Amino acid sequence: MLLTKEDLFSMFRFVALLWQQNTLRLSEIDSRFGDGDHGVTIGKMAAMILSRLNERQDESVKDFIKSLGSGCLEIAGGSAGPLYGVLLEGLAGPLSDDDNEINAATLKAMFSSARSALFEITKARVGDKTLMDVLIPATEAAEKAPDDVLSILQAAAAAASLGLQETENQVSKFGRARNYGEKTLGTPDVGAVSTALLFKGFQCGAEEHIPQY
Amino acid sequence: MKMKKFINSPENLTKELLEGFAAAHRDLVTLKPGNMVVNNRLEKASRVTVVTLGGAGHEPALSGFVGEGMLDVSVVGDIFAAPGPITCVDAIKLADRGKGVLFVVLNHAGDMLAGDMAMKLAEKEGLHVAKVVTQEDVSNAPREHSDDRRGLVGCVPTFKIAGAAAAAGGSLEEVAAVARRFANNMATLAVAVRGATHPVTGITLDDPGEDEMEIGVGQHGEGGGGRQPMKSADETAEIMLNVLLDDLSIRAGEKVMLILNGAGATTLMELFIVYRRCEQLLKAKNVAIAANCVGEILTAQEQAGFQMFLARMDDELLRYWNAPCNTPYMKKVGSGTGHSGGTR
Repeated sequence: MLLTKEDLFSMFRFVALLWQQNTLRLSEIDSRFGDGDHGVTIGKMAAMILSRLNERQDESVKDFIKSLGSGCLEIAGGSAGPLYGVLLEGLAGPLSDDDNEINAATLKAMFSSARSALFEITKARVGDKTLMDVLIPATEAAEKAPDDVLSILQAAAAAASLGLQETENQVSKFGRARNYGEKTLGTPDVGAVSTALLFKGFQCGAEEHIPQY
Repeated sequence: MKMKKFINSPENLTKELLEGFAAAHRDLVTLKPGNMVVNNRLEKASRVTVVTLGGAGHEPALSGFVGEGMLDVSVVGDIFAAPGPITCVDAIKLADRGKGVLFVVLNHAGDMLAGDMAMKLAEKEGLHVAKVVTQEDVSNAPREHSDDRRGLVGCVPTFKIAGAAAAAGGSLEEVAAVARRFANNMATLAVAVRGATHPVTGITLDDPGEDEMEIGVGQHGEGGGGRQPMKSADETAEIMLNVLLDDLSIRAGEKVMLILNGAGATTLMELFIVYRRCEQLLKAKNVAIAANCVGEILTAQEQAGFQMFLARMDDELLRYWNAPCNTPYMKKVGSGTGHSGGTR
């Protein structure tokens, strides 16, 4: 099975919709140990994704995903802008201009590439209570999943959800929350929440669009 | 509690505040696309130029210090949020007058990510840029781990020192070296008694209890230092000043710059009472206040509290501090005494 261009658009549409539904919750979590506006930034990114979906011409999948990445890099959104911009540009990395359908191997390579791109700009790793606590296990689960695009997206979303839960047991090591130390125990990392929504959106968007048997 | 602020739509705060700011100071600055506040005399400049980036909601910082002798371009993100790296590179290009660009970045996660990516992109394009990071919050990491220290009000005097060194005709390397020397010899400690309201979401950030204060907070009042019972101005001044003197190892006979920066809802009355005590304590230690500034320069909405800033000064740094500048919120005539706009 392959992911078609329309499947990919559906995946990004679900990400944007999930993000929009959760902006208030994200800002509320961020206000505990951050500056209270992660939901505002995520809302801007969701709006940007939806407008690019509406305005899309017949650009390649690669160019479309890259344009979402540069869209995030243009948004004034604190650390989330560069992090999601690099993540999305990383996803487009392994694609070539004529890749209009994505197979399992390419999908795995896309997630691995996003992880490598983020490794270049952040020192955060598993256990530091950041979005990397979701991205790294989700990527590893995708890499280990059977060679089937839906299985890959399901495995990634499930691992993302577990990674997110783990952040509640961690002490923040990055960002403004770091200064609160052990007080951050019991609260999930807000970047991890939005990244788990990203993987959930990918899964739901593909499932919605691809008939399941 | 419902947010009580004179605003229109929360989505347009940054746009509207920048429009008003640029209109009020159109003799000095111009607002350009990408939320860039630009020195009106940039085009005539033939020197190193100075660029910074940062979130809005901290007025008058950072854009209030754009003008001759300080910043050439301030790239504004959104409320409490850094601009994107691509806009920063555009600002560096706009600022470049052929002598190189000094890029001042405050140590906050978002600012640093945008700043580091902008540096990479700028280098790829062959631009001549040097980055100076201001990281002087003594509360959240020891001096040997200054990479972890948050950037507080110290960015503002750094803009002044760098801007003056640039105006004096120094090369980019020289300007960067002076700015770094100053930045490496500064220390800030912030105290909060009431939290700020995020003007977009209406959420109150980290509000100390009724009878409490917190020493060692970040720019938005975010904690870390621990709550303690409210103390008098004199007691608070003494606690904070001693931490800063220790951190910088200031000895008798040295000269310092002292800044008391109101967070937004602390009165000038209180700042002067604290300043008075600081001067008494420094005098007793035979430390001279050679430069100062008392007022609101880097705020966080209606957060109550202040930042106390101390820096070791020498004759060269004092010359740059006293050199003329003309920006909306800092003006110096350069006669050597330089009294203007509440600064010395």
